[in-house]
Amino acid sequence: MSPPVAVVGGGSFGRSLAQAAARVGQRVLLWSRQPRPMPAVAGDGSIHTVSALPELAEAELLLFAVPSPYVAELADELGRSLDGSHLLVHVSRGLLGDDLHTVSEVLSSRTPCRRVGALAGPLVARNLVEGQPGGAIIGSAFPEVVESVSDAIGGPTLRVYGTDDLMGVEIASALVGLVALALGYAQRLGMGPGTLAVLATRGLAEATRVGEMRGGSARTFAGLAGAGDLIAAVAGDGRPEVEFGRALAEGLGLRAAAERAGAYIEGALLAKQVAAFGRRVGVEVPLSGGLARLMAGELSAEQLAEALMARPAKRE
Amino acid sequence: MKLLPTRPLRLPRLRTYVPRPEDPKIFWFNSERADIVDEVVRRILERYDAEESAELALNDAAYHEIRRLEADKSEGARHKLDYWRGILRRVGRMSVEGKHETLREIAHAMAKDVAGNFDPRVYHFASRFVPGVLTAAMNPSNILHNVVGSAGRLDGLVATEGPIDKIRHISKRGTAVLVPTHSSNLDSIALGWVLQREGLSPVVYGAGKNLFTNPIVSFFMHNLGAYRVDRRVKAGLYKEILKAYSCVVIERGYHSLFFPGGTRSRSGAIENHLKLGLAGTGVEAFARNRARGIDRPVYFVPTTINYALVLEAETLIEDYLKEEGRARYIIEDDEFSRIERWISFFNKFRGLESVCVIRFGEPLDPFGNPVDEQGSSLAPDGRIIDPGTYISRRGTPSVDARRDAAYTRALGKVLAQAYQRETVVMPTQLVAHVVFRRVVRATPGLDLFARLRYRGAIAIPCDELVTEIGQTRDRLLALEAAGRVHVSNFVRRQPPANILDGVLATWSGYHAARPVARVQSGSLIAEDPNLLLFYQNRLRTLAPEIAGDDEADQIAAREIAGMEHHA
Repeated sequence: MSPPVAVVGGGSFGRSLAQAAARVGQRVLLWSRQPRPMPAVAGDGSIHTVSALPELAEAELLLFAVPSPYVAELADELGRSLDGSHLLVHVSRGLLGDDLHTVSEVLSSRTPCRRVGALAGPLVARNLVEGQPGGAIIGSAFPEVVESVSDAIGGPTLRVYGTDDLMGVEIASALVGLVALALGYAQRLGMGPGTLAVLATRGLAEATRVGEMRGGSARTFAGLAGAGDLIAAVAGDGRPEVEFGRALAEGLGLRAAAERAGAYIEGALLAKQVAAFGRRVGVEVPLSGGLARLMAGELSAEQLAEALMARPAKRE
Repeated sequence: MKLLPTRPLRLPRLRTYVPRPEDPKIFWFNSERADIVDEVVRRILERYDAEESAELALNDAAYHEIRRLEADKSEGARHKLDYWRGILRRVGRMSVEGKHETLREIAHAMAKDVAGNFDPRVYHFASRFVPGVLTAAMNPSNILHNVVGSAGRLDGLVATEGPIDKIRHISKRGTAVLVPTHSSNLDSIALGWVLQREGLSPVVYGAGKNLFTNPIVSFFMHNLGAYRVDRRVKAGLYKEILKAYSCVVIERGYHSLFFPGGTRSRSGAIENHLKLGLAGTGVEAFARNRARGIDRPVYFVPTTINYALVLEAETLIEDYLKEEGRARYIIEDDEFSRIERWISFFNKFRGLESVCVIRFGEPLDPFGNPVDEQGSSLAPDGRIIDPGTYISRRGTPSVDARRDAAYTRALGKVLAQAYQRETVVMPTQLVAHVVFRRVVRATPGLDLFARLRYRGAIAIPCDELVTEIGQTRDRLLALEAAGRVHVSNFVRRQPPANILDGVLATWSGYHAARPVARVQSGSLIAEDPNLLLFYQNRLRTLAPEIAGDDEADQIAAREIAGMEHHA
């Protein structure tokens, strides 16, 4: 019998992943800090909630769906039960610290596991649950990680692509989350399609600059992890980052906006980190910098729009 | 068939040395050499089993060899050129068997040319002889006395640090792969001597073929376990043979030495982008053994070799500046080949205590985990874990080239961090850094070439310099206390004024034709920004942390840290 698939984190995304895996026949172990009723299973598989982290060691593949600030602590705790045979994959849109450390870097330095990866792309909780046709990308230097995620959740309704540019996937996923937040904000302010297109495209260019600085490949940003993910946000896939941006534009505070979005939003912290990183390494990050100041209340939306428009237009 | 030029020089087999049980594994090397070559050839044939890939390998080898040999005007080259042209003509018409047979023939010749030798008699002789020669070079007026017995003085000049007992101990359980930083051709000699002095096993290592052109050096290299790496040979087949060779050697338990930076650091900086190259075969060797049920751990030992003076500094930095590290050529004639530079090199250390500090770092398993005193791999929580789990899926170990390449890249990052931590800051580097920071302050934003025009134009009052050296040293000591870097004893203990004097005396003697700096009426004049850059480069990444708090100092430090180097 093949080993079960573990899902760490019982938020909406974690539960959807568990459902997607169960749909294709996997036995799923779902760990959550706050036990909630078990999600419904649509396929041949099963979902078992577990309360003790060491129980997850039975799995070979562990999917991490927890907010980035909790990753280190959880990795320390879970790592005590794991060894080199486990494969760790996360779905976080967060980065850590002003050096923009990725979640996979944290996982591989704080657990004995080296075979790590990140799952990204136009993947939203509802699609996973409903089994709508879609695709995702998994970044990992290890072929067995790509293969294992594809086996665990891929199927007739979910195409899973692979790339070995893990760094690119993680930076793209994080920064697209930030651009999605900005898009939600701009939409609520009543900006038209042309404005949103410029915001999305230049936002992606900014993401690519940051990604290349951290050693990612520009090509990844043109793929599912970057452009693909962003197009889904623009098309209105109902993702929480866009919702969060809208709520901010309506004048809600950070906490109230997060409640409305119904998920942890990495972007609130991330904008500041990206801005600090850009300053330190000399990469221009006008959008992230502006968003950081906007969310800190140092800048109004009008001032931000003005500042972005006033930048000298250069060669693209 | 003779494919490659030099034939190894060996001692006649008048009396065979029979290894004793307590001798290191390498003493058996000669009896296994033919076996190793056969195993390499077998793997190569397996690798190029498909007809198309065999044909491709032959075509590629012939193409690259012809290109190389056409530029070579020697008699031997013409002969070989004919051979390769023949291959190129015939390969399209060869049968499958013919292709494999030709491949076997070429692979065998190449593997034999690569294979090293180990003669215990030469080893015993060299261990008595080398310290004498090195010490004699330091004090030529007393050659006889030195050669006869003065290992003691060399002991003082080359210091060793790090967990040596542990490395000695775990080398008995598994195969040690030494991966030092590389800044000078002296590295392998100094390291070889230190291994012997510390009771560590001799190692097998790949040396550039250019080092084999000198018959005396070649004799020692060949008979002390070195195998030849001819960097001029570009054929993919040859690279595969080198990889297979180093893998087989590690698998069989021969402790090995690789310089993962590849060539000597041109800029003087610590290598920060490691490709690992042949050292990466350590991961594969571990996996192959495990897949065959052999439990023989592989340990990587990051090692830094820190010189107060770099013998070839002038040539290296020139080369670096020429192409900013991109198009490197193989330097055939540098300070290394000129004996008078050796003598003056060793003579200039009076007063600086150690010429060279070799610091061994904590050994790591192939997956970047630290190991305990017994050589067991440790998880971040301190628990013992089985390294075999990394190359297994569902309990079954396997060999997987892509997976192992990913492990190797990850290991490269861990080793680069270890280099940073295990670097020992030498007095010349400290002084060069402080002076260079002043030069950058005075010429902000200029590139390396524009800065050259300020040769001799920047003067720094010596008393200010002494104060800054003291302050920078103190910040380095704080970083050392935090486990970020190490500081040599001379830097740690001497008053800043002595550090400055000692360094200036050392430089003025060695880089006499191109003074690094000189003192004139109470001020130090920076003479050679490039050599300053070279010597301070080991401190580059730490620059902002060891600079003073004032704005100008910080700006200069950030500029230094931002100078991206291709090692």
